Amino acid sequence: MDRRQFIFSGIALAASASLGISLWQHSLQPDTDNRHWVLAALLPALLYGVLPQDPTLAQQQIARTQQAVSDFMPYLPLRQQQELHQLFNLLANRLSQLGLTGQISDLPELSVMQRLELLQRWRDSYLSLLQQAYHGLRELLYGAYYGQSEHWQALAYTAPRFR
Amino acid sequence: MTTNHLDASQFTQHQQFDTDIVIIGSGAGGGIAAEQLAQAGVKVLLLEEGAYYSRDDFVMQERWAYPNLYQEGAARKTRDQAIGILQGRTVGGSTTVNWTTSIRTPQPTLNYWHSEFGLNFTGDNDLTPYFAKAEQRLNIHPWPIPPNANNAKLQQGCEQLGWQYSVINRNVNGCANLGYCGMGCPINAKQSMLVSTIPAALALGATLISRISVRQLHWQGNSITSLTAVPVDQYFQPRTDIKISIRAKHYIVAAGAIGSPALLLRSNLPDPSGRLGKHTYLHPTVISGAVFDEAINGHSGAPQSIYSDQFVWPDNSEQAGFKLEVPPLHPVLMATKLIGHGEAHAALMQQFNHLQVTIALLRDGFHPQSQGGTVQLDDAQQPVLDYPISDYLWQGMRQALLAMAELQFAAGAKQVLPIHHDAKLYRSWAEAKTAIQSLPMQKLKQTVVSAHVMGGCNMSADPAKGVVDQNGRHHQLQNLSVFDGSILPTSLGANPQLTIYALVWRNCQQLISML
Repeated sequence: MDRRQFIFSGIALAASASLGISLWQHSLQPDTDNRHWVLAALLPALLYGVLPQDPTLAQQQIARTQQAVSDFMPYLPLRQQQELHQLFNLLANRLSQLGLTGQISDLPELSVMQRLELLQRWRDSYLSLLQQAYHGLRELLYGAYYGQSEHWQALAYTAPRFR
Repeated sequence: MTTNHLDASQFTQHQQFDTDIVIIGSGAGGGIAAEQLAQAGVKVLLLEEGAYYSRDDFVMQERWAYPNLYQEGAARKTRDQAIGILQGRTVGGSTTVNWTTSIRTPQPTLNYWHSEFGLNFTGDNDLTPYFAKAEQRLNIHPWPIPPNANNAKLQQGCEQLGWQYSVINRNVNGCANLGYCGMGCPINAKQSMLVSTIPAALALGATLISRISVRQLHWQGNSITSLTAVPVDQYFQPRTDIKISIRAKHYIVAAGAIGSPALLLRSNLPDPSGRLGKHTYLHPTVISGAVFDEAINGHSGAPQSIYSDQFVWPDNSEQAGFKLEVPPLHPVLMATKLIGHGEAHAALMQQFNHLQVTIALLRDGFHPQSQGGTVQLDDAQQPVLDYPISDYLWQGMRQALLAMAELQFAAGAKQVLPIHHDAKLYRSWAEAKTAIQSLPMQKLKQTVVSAHVMGGCNMSADPAKGVVDQNGRHHQLQNLSVFDGSILPTSLGANPQLTIYALVWRNCQQLISML
């Protein structure tokens, strides 16, 4: 177990003790609902300024990005997949989320600006765990969003077609 | 696809193969070896963990290319997540996805290997004829077309400042100047192993097995006796339901500088020098973006056509040298590397077509404070590279950020953005210089990437200082060779493919003469 897993485990165990359930055992397992719930909360912040104003269109782009994340994750090493599952599961759990965000409110209850501040706090955290969470999520989510040709309008970029 | 190709993921029961030579990995090392040995008339079995794609599969989209053609979906990271590593995992290895830059091993690097590792590449061992053979085989020539704007800015900056620069030699034939080399060449112009040596080896009777992961070499005394492999699933994860056993007279490991040491470590091979999996080098690379008034369109045109060696071999040996190049600019590559989030990131992405990007590749492995990284195995027995960044390297990176900003302003940049998470767009060289001098050089704050993995099974004349000898033969096991970038005892100070081609070509001639 490396330092990152150790800290994650500590947060999970603390939450488990409070809840009296074995959160730690379950936290490494994939949970699609938790992942979707967390991404639905973080994507509007990360993509603030690029998502369309129209809520329906924005929702379509978020859904497409969530799907791209789901499609991509199985290609990662199992070790990294487990870390991501754990991060999503912990963020979706109110008590463990408190340990990661310092917020007692659920992520979706925060304003977009508060979610942006949260990302900034992770980025600047003295805990390398939170810095890694920031960079890991950032790269995963931006990769998923900008990998979709439907999202290239703002870049004035089109891939060549000659076949 | 040829009938000499087997897709291991289609196997429905355990398999056993016998051959003269088995080659594990089909990149720059394995690809050259397959053709050389097939030409010598020996029975060759070539194994590749990735899939066997052809030009029709290469759709020029990152969302397909990264998961299907790269190790760990192009999201490979060092243990502490501080360095991102681009490395191929497909038939042809990194040669299928590299940016075609072909540079001979710099003489000072060979000199260093001679003095530190007793490796003598002069006289009968001169690599020059092998560089020439590889250049002829893979159509390596100076790029005759004017550079795209991204490369032209590197050239113009050098001209303004009086810095050295060179036109890059590329391994292409009939290149249409598209700019999508990193996603697999859609017109077979790039002379990767996928379209050159591997089809030639198959035509000579070699067999290729794709989607196979070699888990262990079995050994007794001073010989490898067999190997065990498994198929990979649709996500390239090793499966456990089917076992493949292969027996050969000679075993060539060419799984890349992370994969090869990992296989030897999994197999508990003798390691009396203590250097197996150690001293892995990366050419740690830092990035500088620049906004220009005119369109740059860095996605279009040969990705690399100009480099500068102004700073590779500094007079002061306490300074880390670095090579200046540019990368191709595509949406995912840009979005994941540009700094910030929310509106700030969106605003940078909107300048996509006006961004010029320069990279500086540090020459690691030539200083006591630059001893590289260590390949380790995780719980699933998969490799993970631990690469601590020393103060010597951080200071080299700061010098590199300074040089790139100076160059970009000299080339006419309106604003320069060092890719560091505490940096911002600077409007003048003076402003950038002051800011860069005070940026905290710390992991995760300073973005570091690598596209060149080297070392981990280093060659040396003395068995006490390396894993293999000068011919790539394992010092302890008589029927084992390592033929890939993992045998390099330091980084190169140049893009590695041509060095690997020449070394392996030469090593194959040695091996054939002894079979």
